[in-house]
Amino acid sequence: MTATQNAPVPAGTTSPAPARVRDGRRRRRGGLGERLVPYLLILPTLVAVLVLLGWPTIQMLGISLRQLDLRELVTGKTVWIGFANYTATLSDPKFWSVALRTVVFTALLVAATLLVALVIALLMRHLNPVIRILVQISLVLAWAVPVIATTTVFQWIFDQQYGILNKTLDRLGFHSFIGYSWFSTGASTLAVIGLLVLWQAVPFVAFTLYAGLIGVPREQYEAAGIDGAGPWQTFRAVSWPAIRPILTMVTFLSVLWDFNMFGQVWAIRQGGPDGASTTLAILQYLKGIAGSHFGSAAAIATMMLVLLLLVTARYVQLLVRTKDGELA
Amino acid sequence: MKRSLAQRITLSVAGVLVALLFFFPTYWMFTTSLKTPGEVLSPKYDLIPTSATLTNFASALTKPGFVTYLGNSLIVTLAAVITALVVGVLAAIPLARFRFRGRKGFLLLILVAQLAPLSALFIPMYLLMRDLSLLNTLPSLLLVYFATSLPFTVWMLYGFVNGIPYDLEEAAMIDGCSRTGAFRRVTLPLLGPGLVTTSVFSFITAWNEFLFALVFMRDKSKQTLPVWLSSFKTAFSVDWGGVMAASVIYAIPALIFFLIVQRKLVSGMTAGAVKG
Repeated sequence: MTATQNAPVPAGTTSPAPARVRDGRRRRRGGLGERLVPYLLILPTLVAVLVLLGWPTIQMLGISLRQLDLRELVTGKTVWIGFANYTATLSDPKFWSVALRTVVFTALLVAATLLVALVIALLMRHLNPVIRILVQISLVLAWAVPVIATTTVFQWIFDQQYGILNKTLDRLGFHSFIGYSWFSTGASTLAVIGLLVLWQAVPFVAFTLYAGLIGVPREQYEAAGIDGAGPWQTFRAVSWPAIRPILTMVTFLSVLWDFNMFGQVWAIRQGGPDGASTTLAILQYLKGIAGSHFGSAAAIATMMLVLLLLVTARYVQLLVRTKDGELA
Repeated sequence: MKRSLAQRITLSVAGVLVALLFFFPTYWMFTTSLKTPGEVLSPKYDLIPTSATLTNFASALTKPGFVTYLGNSLIVTLAAVITALVVGVLAAIPLARFRFRGRKGFLLLILVAQLAPLSALFIPMYLLMRDLSLLNTLPSLLLVYFATSLPFTVWMLYGFVNGIPYDLEEAAMIDGCSRTGAFRRVTLPLLGPGLVTTSVFSFITAWNEFLFALVFMRDKSKQTLPVWLSSFKTAFSVDWGGVMAASVIYAIPALIFFLIVQRKLVSGMTAGAVKG
């Protein structure tokens, strides 16, 4: 994209003062070779992203404007139908309810993930070493167990007849849970999926936040303590600034992952019962790979991408505008 | 900060509770794998197992082709992790340490590249691999896993490099290091926890992926463990004991990897180094 633009441009025109100082030094030292260095370093990434992700995305946009069913796929004929896939999808009331469900589900899931992870990260910092290691081991276990395995275990735990959860609830006196089906309504199915995702996603976020927390020099906490700051004030003044960039980053990532999540939702009930836990990713799969209407599937995927772009635009804009490209 | 005994006990109890909650599904997977089919499907309350059998493991391991699946998974995963890390660090350095024209455009690309729904790119990816005649070869999976984890890897490493004060490198340069030397000797070692966290992510992506692995690989001899795991579930019945045993086996390499990197992850290297 920009790899070839290596003309000697005063980088300081858009960058803040410190960057200009740094650049000035570099310009004094090196000539063309030195200026090429960053481009050479990013070149492998640039090529990989453009070829392996960019090109398929462009193809996806193209397919969304075509009628591409099994017949067209086999015969290799290209049938352009303009925006027909989009109008058909947008005039389907089911699409709107699925879209709304996906957005609400993603928002709740992301909020829950961040909150739980932040609490655990803070907790880990204050625990005594033995219990901290216990927590870390169980987090690592939860994180390391592959998604398919975890999903199967959750199905087994929530099993209607022999699941340990229903058996335990029965033992605790809630006898109405004997043979209770956790997958009979969309809401409770999504709740189970949410727990499952929470269980898998929290360790990563908690460890990342924890890594940010232990990156803060101990002196800063000591200084805050000497100045008489309470736990809350210390958190606000010392921990929060250190983890805020990380928190923004994991929020962004969680939104992407949860919004696009496919495997877990599919594995639990294939979007059921009766489509009540169907998210956009599932709908897209049902139309595309399962239903062989690749054109409408690509249209849904494109709209998902646009929706994500809209939601994350502020963050991306912030990033581009921030003087250093850094989110502090 | 000194804490009172009561505070310490509350914290410890909370810690133990968190540990138990996150431990339980793994525990349940393991104990179920040790039960006979009759014990699994029994109304008895069996939170703590009273007997154990290894027949589930024996039958899982003797399923044909297990070693091949394991080998394929390991090759593809480790290759994807290493490639993504090397390429990712290369891109993270200029992002965090250089000001160059197009930097923001590149950042934007890295960010937006993460938005794409993977299941939607499936068809175009399939066509791409077909055109490169890479279908049914391990490199096709390697490329997919590398590409899907790369933007995130670059992004994470950029954040971690940014988090290491440039002053440290400057100090090294004043002491006579070259720019490269300063990065290699000062920033790279401090990047340890960052590299670890990031490698863990690409490891998970590659180790877990199912859909691409299933469709790209026609030959049984080229398939990976997730595909193998799915063969335990049939349309009509779930052999819970068998699935759990297979899941345990499938999880073990991931656990080993995590245990290796875990120490780095929590060693708090940066905490010690930025002092003063």
